[in-house]
Amino acid sequence: MDAIRTEALTKHYQVGFWRPRPYLALEGVSLSVAQGEVFGFLGPNGAGKTTTLKLLMQLIYPTSGTAEILGLPVGAAAVKRRIGYLPENPYFYDHLTAEELLEYFASLFGYAGAERRQRASRLLDEVGIGAERRLQLRKFSKGMLQRVGIAQALVNDPEVVFFDEPMSGLDPLGRREIRQLILRLRDRGCTVFFSSHVLADAEALCSRVAIVARGRLVASGALSEILAFQVHGWELVVSQVTPAALECARKSGRVEKIVPLGPDRYAFDVPLTVAPEQLLGELTAAGAQLVSLTPLRETLEDFFVRQVAGATSDRGLE
Amino acid sequence: MRRVLTPVLLVLLMASAVGLQAMRERGGELPAGQDGLLYVRSPEALRRMSLSYHSILADVYWIRAVQVYGDTKLGRTADRSYGLLYPLLDLTTSLDPYFDVAYQFGALFLAEQPPAGPGRPDQAVTLLEKGLRAQPDDWRLHQAIGFVHYWSYQDYAAAADWFRRGSQLTGAPVWMGPLAAVTLAEGGNRKASRLIWQQILQSVSDDWFRKEADRRLKQLDAMDQLDTLTRVVATFEARQGRVPASWAELTRAGYVRGTIADPTGAPYRLEGRVVSLDPASPLLPLPKEQGRP
Amino acid sequence: MTSLRTVATVAMSVFRESVRDKVLYNLVAFAVLLMAASYLIGQLTAGQDIKIIKDLGLAAIATFGLMIAVFIGIGLVWKEVERRSIYSLLTKPLSRGEFIVGKYCGLGLTLAVNVVVMVVAWYAVLGYMAASVPAEVRAAWAAPATDPGMLRAVGLILVELMLVTAIALFFSTFSSPFLSAGLTLGLWVIGHFNADLKNFESVVDSRAAAWLAHGLYYVLPNFSAFDIKQQVVYAQPIPAAYLATTALYGVIYIALLLVASVAVFSRRDFK
Repeated sequence: MDAIRTEALTKHYQVGFWRPRPYLALEGVSLSVAQGEVFGFLGPNGAGKTTTLKLLMQLIYPTSGTAEILGLPVGAAAVKRRIGYLPENPYFYDHLTAEELLEYFASLFGYAGAERRQRASRLLDEVGIGAERRLQLRKFSKGMLQRVGIAQALVNDPEVVFFDEPMSGLDPLGRREIRQLILRLRDRGCTVFFSSHVLADAEALCSRVAIVARGRLVASGALSEILAFQVHGWELVVSQVTPAALECARKSGRVEKIVPLGPDRYAFDVPLTVAPEQLLGELTAAGAQLVSLTPLRETLEDFFVRQVAGATSDRGLE
Repeated sequence: MRRVLTPVLLVLLMASAVGLQAMRERGGELPAGQDGLLYVRSPEALRRMSLSYHSILADVYWIRAVQVYGDTKLGRTADRSYGLLYPLLDLTTSLDPYFDVAYQFGALFLAEQPPAGPGRPDQAVTLLEKGLRAQPDDWRLHQAIGFVHYWSYQDYAAAADWFRRGSQLTGAPVWMGPLAAVTLAEGGNRKASRLIWQQILQSVSDDWFRKEADRRLKQLDAMDQLDTLTRVVATFEARQGRVPASWAELTRAGYVRGTIADPTGAPYRLEGRVVSLDPASPLLPLPKEQGRP
Repeated sequence: MTSLRTVATVAMSVFRESVRDKVLYNLVAFAVLLMAASYLIGQLTAGQDIKIIKDLGLAAIATFGLMIAVFIGIGLVWKEVERRSIYSLLTKPLSRGEFIVGKYCGLGLTLAVNVVVMVVAWYAVLGYMAASVPAEVRAAWAAPATDPGMLRAVGLILVELMLVTAIALFFSTFSSPFLSAGLTLGLWVIGHFNADLKNFESVVDSRAAAWLAHGLYYVLPNFSAFDIKQQVVYAQPIPAAYLATTALYGVIYIALLLVASVAVFSRRDFK
């Protein structure tokens, strides 16, 4: 059973008062997420990431298509008991303290008394909220609210968590902490579905990703697969390169780019068509020493930009 | 320097504001024509607009009615005719048909002759009849209508009839039955009148009602005293062949003793053979009596 | 039943929020002050002071209650949606219906507590009044100062306030606070003119208009029925049947509005 599954999920909005026209927020998105995965849902601003998440949370209703979580239709009470959700730019209740908020949410799950308090306390520790937990939420900074948001998403030890921009508002230390938290969740067997436009996080955490642009799914698959086929060259780093050897390499036409890394240390970018061993052999014969030979992959960013630019659909039905 | 300036400025400005207010109080205000204004005259309209606040609005109009009466009596208003009294009482009782005190007030004071009232017993009767439509079994209203007939119209038969009917209603005081009988038998007689006011004095708790009852009793005493003094003067004239020149002469001759003053302390006047109350006496005007000029 | 517990949890959350709301404190404090001041105002009424304290107390409870019901009611749902705190709440095991009913009960509880506070202050002033006048003055009153019968009027006022809250909540599920306040207060005013709608035909020539007015008389909430303030001040008898049927009318109308609110709210997209 998939943790998450959508079939042709579509959402149209009617825009305009006098002659309403449909606006395609999401069009025919089908994806599946296996249990225990960390799944990255990527896309530029306005692509439909938040729309998809809201459809999965049943905060909005689909125009057509279906969505299931853990084999049950979204919005079912049984589903809500087993998932957690962090909205984008979370806002809670000004007058409550962080502790009280978590205890309130815990009581909605049926926890009571000492267990409720312990649960709230433990979660706040885990997200790094210390003595501030007694302050009213109106006094919290964006970063602190983000942490509270993550804590409340985990209050029921969910099997599947949905994070909308989990790193938003956090400083580098905070991002690192949350990254580690996501990995801990994965290690516990939790499925993590998060949307982001920070590709570095996706690269570091996800096993699979999907990319949406302008309401349509443009790519999905395992990260390793997406990037594996995209090796487009090699980077050869050598030291003790004599100027003669350098000149020779440049003239040979086999090197795309030469980057000086220090006194007589250089990085050569070699295209796929050229066998790097040959160049290496020539350089070592000239007295150079190998430092490293690494394949040049396309970054996720390159892939992303290419996919998104290539999306040709437009939204209106005219 | 700065730190002193602000409090000093505040004190100066406050003092000026207070001073100006005091000046206004002493007579700089607009002419009193302003307070003769009633924005809403129709009781029905007012009842509609009051949106469940009838009782409290009735209280407000009641307060206003009492103040208008008091101010007019004390000469503080421009309009000396008590013109607003009936409309205000009418509005009060339309908003709250059970407001007994307002009916009683109207019965007493609407019928009073100027300068103590507008002299409109017909308005008093209209008001009371309206009250009876809402509360046909209220003995106090019967008593009040009886009053109006007694004092203003001197229709003792009608008054006795109202008292009798009132005495048969629940809550009616025990003296109402005998009062009806006395009224029928000796209506206009001071004895019946005194009985009424003494009973009222004992049975009501509102200050203004008790004061009024007290005043009426004093009026009756004054009328008795006037009769006595007139007889004394006539006796003097018969014996001496001329009218007394002053009270002092009568005192010296032994016809009277003590201060010749009415129950409020205002001296009686003697002009020829006519004895009368001092024009400034609060007991004026005296109630009408059969057989009196 | 867990549904009941969920509703209670949401209700207590609303109650806690209102208890921490300074505006509410000021309103209630003002009401209590007014009760105390009514003692002084009573001096103006030429002997009717007990009546005015009773009248003023009932009017204050009704008015402040109305303000609380409307101004908190219109924001109950709207604020959560606008500020987006609803996103994290609705993804907890809580149906939209439980959310609405919970919010309503929370405000109802707040109203009830506020009314109790005002009633206590009011009876304190009445008691003081009764204690400070001589016995014969007390004997002349139509009804005792601290007449418990007046609580019947307070009871109906409370039902009326709960109905106003339900109306405000209904509008709050789909329109902005400004519009909601206008519509709610508008319905309250019309509900007091109900009797006039019935008599429209004698005022207007068109049969269609009279028919429409007659229909509206039956459909729109009849608030004037909840007003027995004048009767309790004079300790007049009020049939228990009247109290029961009026309260029942209120409860049924409230249920109608809650069902409608849940229906509207369940279909909403939270963009």
